[in-house]
Amino acid sequence: MEEVILRAENVNKSFGITHAVKDVTLPFNKGEIRGLIGENGSGKSTLMSMLLGIYSIDSGKFILDGKELNVNNQVEANRNGVSIIVQEMGTLSGLTVAENIFLGNEDRFVKFGIKNTTAMNREAQALLDKYGFNRIDATMMIDNYDFEDRKLIEIVKATYFDPKVLVIDETTTALSQSGRDELYKHMNRIRDEGNTVIFISHDLAEVIKYTNSISVLRDGVLIDTVQSSDVTEDDLKKLMVGRVLDDRYYRTDYGEAVSDDVVLSVKNVSVPGEIKNMSFELHKGEILGIGGLSECGMHEVGKAVFGASYDRTGEVTLADGTPINSITTAIKHSIAYASKDRDNESLVINDSISDNICLPSMDSLRVNNILLNKHLNEFANKYAKLISVKMVDVNQFVSDLSGGNKQKVVLARWIGKNSDIVVLDSPTRGIDVKVKADIYALMSEMKKQGKSIIVISEEIMELLGMCDRILVMKDGALSGEFMRSPTLTEEDFIAKMV
Amino acid sequence: MSLKESTQKPKTNKFVNNYLGIILLLLLVAVIWAIFKILAPGNFGSPDKMLSYLQSSLIYAVGGCGLYFICVMGLFDFSIGANVVLSSILACVFAQKFGYAGLILVPIICGTLIGLLNGIVYIKLHIPSMIVTVGLALIYESLSVFATQGQEQILQSANCAFGTYPANLILALCAFFLTALIIKYTKIGTYTYAIGSNEYVAKNMGVSVNKYKVVAFVLCGFFVGVMSILTISYGTSMTAASSLSSMGRNFTPLMGTFFGLAFRKYGKPITAIVIGEFIISMIFNGFVAIGAPSTVQNVVTGAALLLIVMVTTKPVKGIVVK
Repeated sequence: MEEVILRAENVNKSFGITHAVKDVTLPFNKGEIRGLIGENGSGKSTLMSMLLGIYSIDSGKFILDGKELNVNNQVEANRNGVSIIVQEMGTLSGLTVAENIFLGNEDRFVKFGIKNTTAMNREAQALLDKYGFNRIDATMMIDNYDFEDRKLIEIVKATYFDPKVLVIDETTTALSQSGRDELYKHMNRIRDEGNTVIFISHDLAEVIKYTNSISVLRDGVLIDTVQSSDVTEDDLKKLMVGRVLDDRYYRTDYGEAVSDDVVLSVKNVSVPGEIKNMSFELHKGEILGIGGLSECGMHEVGKAVFGASYDRTGEVTLADGTPINSITTAIKHSIAYASKDRDNESLVINDSISDNICLPSMDSLRVNNILLNKHLNEFANKYAKLISVKMVDVNQFVSDLSGGNKQKVVLARWIGKNSDIVVLDSPTRGIDVKVKADIYALMSEMKKQGKSIIVISEEIMELLGMCDRILVMKDGALSGEFMRSPTLTEEDFIAKMV
Repeated sequence: MSLKESTQKPKTNKFVNNYLGIILLLLLVAVIWAIFKILAPGNFGSPDKMLSYLQSSLIYAVGGCGLYFICVMGLFDFSIGANVVLSSILACVFAQKFGYAGLILVPIICGTLIGLLNGIVYIKLHIPSMIVTVGLALIYESLSVFATQGQEQILQSANCAFGTYPANLILALCAFFLTALIIKYTKIGTYTYAIGSNEYVAKNMGVSVNKYKVVAFVLCGFFVGVMSILTISYGTSMTAASSLSSMGRNFTPLMGTFFGLAFRKYGKPITAIVIGEFIISMIFNGFVAIGAPSTVQNVVTGAALLLIVMVTTKPVKGIVVK
């Protein structure tokens, strides 16, 4: 009988209307490496963030070694024997390597308020040497080391105190092969010492190879836990997907030809650290989808097309050859963009619906160079009503609206501007089903009017249901292309994106 | 061979780390000295004069040390000018009654309390530190007016030891060593840097962010208190300030702080603050030596401040600066 070290019991977490983790009950055994997989938004990272005290738990609990775990931050989790190596940068610039390793745990070196820096450096160096990282100098500023070395330092930081449970959240993608090998080595060591590793990765081959068992999450629900030796990558993909197209919301037409007229072409576009050498064309009346894992660079593509990227190279041109290199030229030439970060990048939150809708159309609303509130409100009212924004009147502040209605304001703005090319990044993120359906209907309507739409989305079903053509991205580059088809499945799609 | 290379590489980096910054700053000192010496050979740069430039720069460097704790976190304190005025005035008043005990203790207590108040108000009101400290500066200035009824306060010559060598140098050195000690050998130093680097991550590591922000304001106030002792001893008189006339006193310490931030990666921020203030003092006196009107000095101060901040802060692309 295997001994359970950690158990999640009926754990729940919601963000607004999104129920990110639903009633998950999941035991983890002592002395195993457990893979945790699932596509975007399946709840893996949220579940682990609750374990580490980074997010609060809505309901349910974690039981570690028979006792309920009640922690508020990472250091408290560490003291209880749970640690994490995070996906992003987990070390702090401006501190030395040793200070980073012991951050939050300096007290053991402090006597009468004075920190024994020498002892701390010595101990940090001894740890680095023990891990075989003796080329890293504990007294140096961490800024002198590259991302990969900083990840190795994080390995030391997260494991030197022999945690009972170590969570590794999608760390391997950032590492080279030798860095990965170091990580695997320490995962194995921790397991062999009788402790537990929870390993989150999108690389299914890696998950099968290095874990003992694998748990699969989908839409915040635990689907199954399987033995790694019994499964293939295909089996896992089947477990990860499993939804069917719901044609109550999506388009139902298939096989309609899209015009050959190219309205926008993207040639060899790169943005440092985000996208590599992207080329594609957008046709008149086409809904073009772009999908992939959240960090694959797809969100930057929207910015690049809208002239909003920094340090972009390559060309974005309209049919007549006009280059789009700045936001002003993009808007002038009828390109619209709705950002994923609605509240910070799309809307002026502390302003009225009217002002938000009229913002890019001010020039055309002037009469003898004067802007009259009457004209602005008429204009805003017309488009807000057209797509039924739920509001008191157009003078209401955008900050009062729900996520769905905010998104409608963004769309009303660009419909009012009569944009021909519309880039929508995550248009239905955090939006309830009713408004979702409205937005899909609106997209179909725009398509009928001959407008071209680029939809960037983390929701695969949305792309399959709405797009004429879908581009798949992986690690900043194109990795596949699908044409609209009733036989296209989520599984085909996932095969290209992970 | 490759192992040897990899173990030796950090050593050369370490030398660069430790001394390159200081060497660069000293070179800058030499270059600026040479320029003004050529422009005004008779009026600038004799050993005596260099000592007097150093004397004024020590005062600002002490304030710069205090401000360093604030600026590392990305915050500002624009009340240090008002703090200096109020603390110096109280120092004068109490020195008359209690001699050196009053001169030393009162401004340090006053400065520290002002720092504490700044910190608490900043934390409680959740508004930018710059606004908080400017608002409070007006209040501190008014207190200085109430305390003196507009009369100029003069420090008796019997209590002026900290205005000249060696007492001023000793006091300033104590302040520098204390700053370096706090930064390198206490949790406060580590947490200050951690909060400045990424507040969210620091919070996740169990750092009590608000507490250490208040601590930084308190330390800033403490060092401004020490600066007040040096200021009143050097100048021997102080008049109450009003309508933000104390604002001008903020910028010279701030410039030193930015030298510290810029050279922080070389590991010796406090040395950089001190040499930085000396460079600024040389430039001011250099302009006086070549006979430039004092308005030109203000232009130089403003331009130098903008230049130093531009060089030392590398904003993230696309970040909104307000």
